[in-house]
Formats: sequence, structure tokens, C-alpha cells
Amino acid sequence: MKKLEEVLEDWEAVIGLEIHAELTTLETKMFCGCKLEFGAPPNTHTCPVCLGLPGALPVPNKAAIESIVLAGLATNCDIEKHSMFYRKNYMYPDMAKNFQTTQGPIAFCMRGHLDLDVDGAAAKERYRLDDLAVGETEDNITRTEDGYVAHVGITRIHMEEDAGKMVHVGGGEGRIAGATHSMVDYNRAGTPLIELVTEPDLRTPEEARLFMQKLRQIYLAIGISDCSMEEGSLRCDGNVSLRKRGAKGLGTKTELKNMNSFKNLHDGLTYEICRQAEVLEEGGIIYQETRHWDPSVKRTIVMRVKETADDYRLFPEPDLAPYDLSDAFIEGVRAKLPELPDQKAKRFAADFGLSAYDARHLVENLDVAAFFEEAMAAAGADALTLAKPIANLMINDVSAYLNAHVDESLGNLALTPARAVELTKLTAADAISSKQAKEVFAAVLEEDKDPGVIVDERGMKQVSDTGAIEAVVDQVIAANPDEVARYKEGNEKLIGFFVGQCMKQMRGQGNPKVINQLLAEKLSQA
Amino acid sequence: MAQHLTEKDVRRIAEYARIGLTDEELVQMTVDLNNVIDTLKPITEFDLEGVEPTFHPIGDLSNVMREDVEVAGFSQKVALSNAPKQMDGCFLIPSILGEGGDR
Amino acid sequence: MASFATMDVASIQAGLKAGEFSAREVAEDALARVEAADKQVHAFLEVTPELALAAADKVDAARAAGTLDACGPLAGVPVAFKDNMNLAGTHTTCASRMLENYVSPYTATCVQRVLDAGALPLGKLNMDEFAFGSSTETSAFGTTGNPWDLSRVPGGSSGGSAAAVAAGMCTVTLGSDTGGSIRQPGCFCGVVAVKPTYGVVSRYGVVAFGSSLDQVGPFARTVRDAALTMNALAGRDPLDCTSQHVTCDFTANLDKGVDGMRIGVVPEFMNARGLQPEVKAKIEEVVAKLEGMGARIEEVALPNVHAAISAYYVLGPCEAFSNLARFDSVRYGYCDPGHKDLGGQYEASRSRGFGPEARRRIMLGSYLLSSGVYDKYYYPAQQVRTLITRDYAQAYEKVDCILAPAAPRTAFKFGEISEPAEMYLSDMYTISINIAGNGGMNMPVGLGAQSGLPVGAQLIGPAFKDENMLRVAAALETVYGAAPVAPDFAPAKAGE
Repeated sequence: MKKLEEVLEDWEAVIGLEIHAELTTLETKMFCGCKLEFGAPPNTHTCPVCLGLPGALPVPNKAAIESIVLAGLATNCDIEKHSMFYRKNYMYPDMAKNFQTTQGPIAFCMRGHLDLDVDGAAAKERYRLDDLAVGETEDNITRTEDGYVAHVGITRIHMEEDAGKMVHVGGGEGRIAGATHSMVDYNRAGTPLIELVTEPDLRTPEEARLFMQKLRQIYLAIGISDCSMEEGSLRCDGNVSLRKRGAKGLGTKTELKNMNSFKNLHDGLTYEICRQAEVLEEGGIIYQETRHWDPSVKRTIVMRVKETADDYRLFPEPDLAPYDLSDAFIEGVRAKLPELPDQKAKRFAADFGLSAYDARHLVENLDVAAFFEEAMAAAGADALTLAKPIANLMINDVSAYLNAHVDESLGNLALTPARAVELTKLTAADAISSKQAKEVFAAVLEEDKDPGVIVDERGMKQVSDTGAIEAVVDQVIAANPDEVARYKEGNEKLIGFFVGQCMKQMRGQGNPKVINQLLAEKLSQA
Repeated sequence: MAQHLTEKDVRRIAEYARIGLTDEELVQMTVDLNNVIDTLKPITEFDLEGVEPTFHPIGDLSNVMREDVEVAGFSQKVALSNAPKQMDGCFLIPSILGEGGDR
Repeated sequence: MASFATMDVASIQAGLKAGEFSAREVAEDALARVEAADKQVHAFLEVTPELALAAADKVDAARAAGTLDACGPLAGVPVAFKDNMNLAGTHTTCASRMLENYVSPYTATCVQRVLDAGALPLGKLNMDEFAFGSSTETSAFGTTGNPWDLSRVPGGSSGGSAAAVAAGMCTVTLGSDTGGSIRQPGCFCGVVAVKPTYGVVSRYGVVAFGSSLDQVGPFARTVRDAALTMNALAGRDPLDCTSQHVTCDFTANLDKGVDGMRIGVVPEFMNARGLQPEVKAKIEEVVAKLEGMGARIEEVALPNVHAAISAYYVLGPCEAFSNLARFDSVRYGYCDPGHKDLGGQYEASRSRGFGPEARRRIMLGSYLLSSGVYDKYYYPAQQVRTLITRDYAQAYEKVDCILAPAAPRTAFKFGEISEPAEMYLSDMYTISINIAGNGGMNMPVGLGAQSGLPVGAQLIGPAFKDENMLRVAAALETVYGAAPVAPDFAPAKAGE
């Protein structure tokens, strides 16, 4: 199979996403007062409504409606005041009523969009990006300095309910294929679920991944879901089709399921694009089908061929009153809208002089952003000078540490905002070197002490005193006449050797900037 | 009687509704359904241009919701009390496959 | 001594208050009557002596403590419920094989409210399977006889509810009405039978047939008993989104008479093909009596009502198809044994668990909702509903209440009507009211001149003014008397 970049030379991928998020931060289910809880013993959070007992009737959870309106406002959607619930009728054992209560042609949230910043390696997947000049716009993208911004349309976000969970027994590895029986647990049945459907505006797997990441950040920021892809509270299906470069129509699409991590989303879409290209290039036909991404074999596998369009016999749910949302209701929800990641990034850039890139990465994680803000407050008058070093500390060191220690969280670390300020202050004042700073960072986490204490205890003070360094530099130059000669012949790389020798003599405490500067001066005079 | 539905149509409808029909039942069902559909004709003869549908005969009632407050539900035992088959606290069903894949 | 079960609510409560008898005696007597009479009538699918006696003991304890008044407006009154109403610990079968062994783990709001009012629950009553029918003949557990003539049907679908009151086994029963299922059996059995405005009584816990059409209401032998039960039943239920706040006292207008009331008569109804002459004659007699009592009779037009039956046979089956999808052999209900795949188990369980009429309606609904067909029937039917609702609203600008036959004929014999389409016509006078959502009731107005069987006048009120029709009914009661227990079951004749 060809590689993605080769495929995208000849073909344009058209990708749309359907993203389901469970409103896990609510107390109760969508249409009954049963508790929302992941991992409870089976069928212990059930009642007549979510078990679909004869005679039971649904009553919507107001907080769920507020949550979806909040999600709509956060993704630039129009909030539809008039909408209804519908019944989507099909029989499946994890759905207690054998219809899903969902929304019809008009959802609570319609016609939204998100702008994606695609840069660095992620931008490389975009076909012929370099044909565009910075600031130039083509299709839905605008070229930027280090990539582009993609404007991705959101068709709708509608309110619905999740199904129960099934465990398949008797087959291999809990798979449905080959199973002799299945066990059904309705604890999850009726969990409030919002489904966001994008326009087919995405063109690369990276864009899809970034969209999903951005949406996740937004949902976390507005607090409507824990967005756990592992536990399935955030799920993504992709619709993919290919068309020849320059063609306008749409090819036959396949629907891709089981992309339950950002990596799987990217890899699944990449595989499917390449697979479709291969089929088409060999003169084959793409069938409209549902395919399952299997990360263990790195392939998509057919789950079901759709011969005809689904006919779910949708009709307005007579048991639920229609909605006529008031301005007061919508404005009440809008008042709860917190600062969104994009706004926060803009503010960080403007207030603290950060680059757009740094600001964007800082706000990727709510805790990191909050930590940064606390540190800025603690830094006081030094905030502007310390912003960049603290941002770097967060984006590089802290992120790396947290990625390597998944059971720890920022809140539990011995590194507090005040200590981050202290640490970066030490570096900025040239009291310790950046190399020493890494050691201090590790020691703070390890020993739960202030950076100043660690520096004192370990005698790590950086020597920036020109007189002291000058003596060492003179000594090193005198001790290495051969190297000096070769340096003077033009082998300027040897400067590293001299710096190393000086550092060695100063037991790593010399200020490398000062050493470099003095060495350059003295060597040219030697 | 007009032939609104053929036996093949009725077979397909039965499959969607998950109603098993013998061949004889299929013949009778086709006759019955066509008879009833005949009587629905008046619905198709109205000029309904501009008439809003009434999906909910509840006047101006709208936005009926409850607060997000937990209400005690069933114990596992009660939840399963009418289950035809159960196992390990779950409802037990035979193999799903052979009936249309994912959904 | 007269049977307590044939007394009205006021007499029972007066007796309890005066210490003439205990609630336990009422319950025991009622249970004995059920034991005796139901062998012939077969109105009950389940009798619940323990529940009835326990409820009676509670009333008696309150009586002893001097707190009888706090027991509620139906304290000590023998009642029973249509078997599509959940009552925790009892079977709720909907007269279907599908639910033969189903035991309710919860209680319907309407049932709970009647119990909270102090009533004594005698049991659960026969009906057409899942309320699909007009004769109670589609019950999977045998037919119910009309107490006036056991060779005839009691009407349906709430046939058991009507028959139990007509045979003097209960003072009050509850039924549900989707297209006439309270009023038509009320008519056939000669008892007061009220379908309130949609939204007045909670549907929570009542097994749904047509969710936008179903409404619960009482059967009784006096208008006042029905109104008292309405007081207990009515009002907003947080568990039913379509239930509404109701504050009126349904008994408030009962003694006001009809002097000055404007009562509508619909020529389309009175001239309809299929209206039996004896019924027509009775209704004309009722018109004259009302006029005699000072009511002003006006003709009103309901130009779109002729399409109500068609709209009903679109909307009802569509909602039923969806409502009955939950009967799938997984969580409850009939599960056909021995299947290795779920598909086979589904189809066999639903095919054998549901009777022919239920299967037909499910199939019809599944067809009518399918894509393309939806736009041809379902959507227009909902538009026609708007027109019919408008017709009624316009009529009520001229009149306070409409008078019509409750059914085009008196009770027919078992097996007399076998064609589904013909059976559907027995609801021709009741269906449009469910489509529009307003209230309607059957008021017995004596016996047909030819058949000697009960004839019912239907009183149809504006939405949320159900007290209007009760007021007219109470006035008619002064002329025709309270509904009698059917002669063969009247206490004296039964040899008590």
C-alpha cells in the first residue's frame, strides 16, 4: 500500500467526524433520576425508565439541556429555540426501549465551527501547502507562518441517550463474533450523550486528530464531560471518502468505528485513506460500509455493508414536550461559559508576551493553564520576564514528567507555582545554569523542597563572576597550546572543548554564557 | 382493494418489526394490511398546505424538565426480577450475530 | 342486606363514619361478590384479596383513631384497575401472552393516587390485548361477558373495567382510552365512563398504546363517584411530561343543572351511516330533555372530523409499533425457548407472544413510519389533527358541551364482528376526541327500545373544562337515574 503522502498527491481525502460525548459530570441520567457512575456492579443503577419497563415515561434532565447549549455556545453554534426529541426505532438488546430518544432535523445546536491551528509536522500532511503565501486563503484554510488555520464547520450537536453495555461470552476475547451469548448491563443505558457532527471539511488525519483534541479541550474547559476515551465517555466515528485531486463530487464513503484514542483516530483514518486509494487505483469499487479499526493488526475490517440507507422510522417523541427555549434560559447558560482555550491562549500571548505556539500548548491542559496563571501571579513584577521560562518549564519538563508518570497529576506534584517562579528566577538571574535547573527540577519533585534550598544544599551556585571565570579561562588556554593552535587555524568547533574544560574545572558551576564570551575574546588574542 | 403492499413488502416490514410470520400468516397479513391502508385514504385527500402538524396535543406546554437530582432506583435483584434469563447480574441473551452486524 | 359494592362512595363513607360497618366488611363483601359474579362475567384477570384487606385495615385503623377524613375521598371504596396499569407486586399482563408472567416492580401514578385516596384494590381487569380492540375479545385470557347479556361483548378495550362496575363488583374502576376504550365499553355496559382531557391524568405506569392519545379515566355508576375519582386522579405528575396542573374540583358544578348552558349537536354525527335507529332515537330524546331543563341546543359543524378514524389508524399504530418494540424477550416478557441466536428468539417470541391484532398494528405502524410512507400518511395525519382540534375549538366558541352518541349501536354478540375494519367503526364517535385531546364521557341514558340494552350519550367538553361535561351528565342523571347494576347481578336478584 502507498504511503499517505503519496496517496494525497493524487487523491483528496474528505473526512467528517461524528463525536459522541457522555455528560459524565452530571449526577443523573438523561431521562430518569438514576445515578451516573462508571464501573458499578451491573444493573444497580436502573429504574422503570432506563430498563424500558412497560408504562415508564421519560423526563429530561434540565442540566443536560444546559450542558448541550453550553457546548453549542462554546463551538460557535446557533442555539435553536424550537426543537423536539424524536424516537429512532430499531431493535438492539442494549437499548431498553428498542428506540433511541434523540433529536430530529433540528437539534439544540446547529451551524457551528471551530478553527484549527495546524502547524509543525501536522501541517505537512496538507497537500501543497507551500503553494499558498502566508495570509492567503484557499478552500477552508488560511496559510500562516508555520502552517495553516483550518476552518471546520459543525453541522449540529444533538442531545440523545447512551445504550447499555454488553459483554460477549463464548467467543474469543469478548468479541461479538463467535460469541454464544451476551450479557447486558443497563447501568449506562440512558446516560446523557451529545453527538457533534462535523461538515466534511477535514482533509487530513492530522486535522481530524487536532479537531478531536480541540473539541476535547473545550468540553473539559466547560466541564460537561470527563472526556475519557479509554472509558468511552468520548468516542469518535469517521466518515471517509476519496476524490481525484481537482474533482468536485464526493466519492462513496465508509464509516470508521473504534478509533478510541487520538493515535487510533489518526492511524485508522490514514489506513483507510490508503486502503481506499489502493482499491480505486486497482479499478475497484468502494462499498458504503461500516469498518472497524483494529489497532492490533493495523487494519480496518468490514463490520456491515449498507445496501440501502438506514430507515430508522424516526418520528417526534410524543412522551416529551417540545422545547421553546427562552432568551433568559440561553443567556443564563451563556453566563456560565468559562474562558475557552482559544481565548485563554490569546490572553496569555497578549498579557505575558508568549508566542502563539507556547500559549496554545499551555492551554491544552486546564490544570497546566491554571498553574501557569498562579505562577504569573506569584511572579509579580517579574511576570513578563519569567513567562517564557515558566511556559517552557510547563510545556517541556512538566509535560514530559507527567507523560512518564501517568498516575500522577499536576496537583499532586511537589512543584508549586511559587517554586516554579523561584526556579526560573534562579536561572534568569544566572544563579544556576539551565543544565543545573533540570537537576533542581528533578530534585524538587523528588525531595519536596524549595529550589533555593536544593541549590544551597548542593552548593550549585553558578559562578558568573568575570574575575573568577577569567582565571580559569586563562588556565585552560595555557594548558592546551595544541588545541589553541588548531583553533586559530580555523577549527572553531574546538570552542566546545574549551568550554567543557572550563566547566570541568568549575565543577559545572560556571556561567556558560560568560565562559563562552571570555573564551572567544581570549582565544582571538592568544 | 388496492394493492398497497405485496407479500414481499410485508415480509420486509415483518423483519424490521421482528415479527415472525409463517407463509400462511404472511398471506393473511398482506390482505389485512391492504384493507386497513385502504381506509386511510381520507388522510391523503386533504389540502394541507400551510397546516402545522400537532405532534403533541398539549397546547403550549413546553420545556418540561426535572432537576439533576438522584432518585433511588432498583436493586439488581428487582431489576432482574422479570428476566427470562440472567447471568452474573446481567440479562442473558443468545448470540447476536447473524442478525445484521453492528446495527 | 345490600352489597357494599353496589353502594355509591358517599353511602360507603357515611356507613363507615357512622360505624355501621367496617372497611374490612366492605372488602370481604366485595371480594365475595367478585368470587360469585366473576365466574360468569370474567372481568378480573387477577384478584388481590391481601391488598384489599390490608388497605381496608388501614382505613379501619384510621376510623378507630378518629382520622377517617384524612384517609382520602375514596376511603373504603372497592376499586379495580385495567390490567395495563402497573401495581407493584401484581401481574400486569395487558391481557397478552407476552406479559403472562410479568410482575410489576413499580406502581402507576393513577393507581397510586387512587390507593392514596383510601380505596380498596380488588384486582386487575380484563381488556383487549394491549388495548387493541373494541370488544375485549382480543384478550389472550378469555372474553368478558356483558353483565346485561352474557352472550354479548362488554365493549373494549376496557371491557373488564366497565363490566366490573355494571355487575356491581366494584364501586369504581379505572380504564384507559386511546380511541374510545373507556366511553364505548361504558356505553355497552351502561355505566358512567370518563375520558378526561389529555394531560389531566398522568400516564406514568400505564402500559402505552398510543402515547399522544392514551388517557386514564374512571368508571362508576354515579356521576358524583366518577367526579370524586377524577379529583383523586387529576393533576401534574413530575413523572409524566405531558401531564398538566389541574386545580378544579370536578364535583363543584354537579348540582348546577344545565339551565342556560349551550349544548351542541353535530349533524354529521346524527346523520352518519351506521347509527342504529334506537340509539338515534335515544339521543334525540336526550336533546329534548336537556332543552326541557333549560339548555340551549345549537347545531355545530365539525367539518374535518370524518377523517378522524383514518388519522387514528395512522397515529395509533405508529405509536404502538414503537411502544411495543420493548417487548423483545430480553428484560421481561415471553421468551420463546431454545433459540441459539437472538434474531430467532426475537421473532419467535414476538410472533407467539403477541396476538393477531397486536401483530397487525405493529406491522401497520412499522410500514407507515418507513421512509417515503411517513410523508404520505403520518405527517398529514398530524396536520389533520390540527384541523380537527381547530374544529372543536371553533365549536366551543358557540357551545359549552357537545352531545353525541357514544357508540353507533348497542353491545353486539361475541364473534358478530370479525372484520378489523368493521370493528374499527364502533369507535366512530369517540376517536376524534382522542385526536383533538379534549375530554369526553359516556352517560347511560336508559335502554334501547329494540334491544333492551344500555344506550349511552356521549358528552364532549372543551379541553381542560371536563367539569362542563360532568355537569351536563349530572343533570341527565336527575332524569335517567344513576346507572343500575345489570339486572342479573343486582343484589336482590342475585339472592343476597
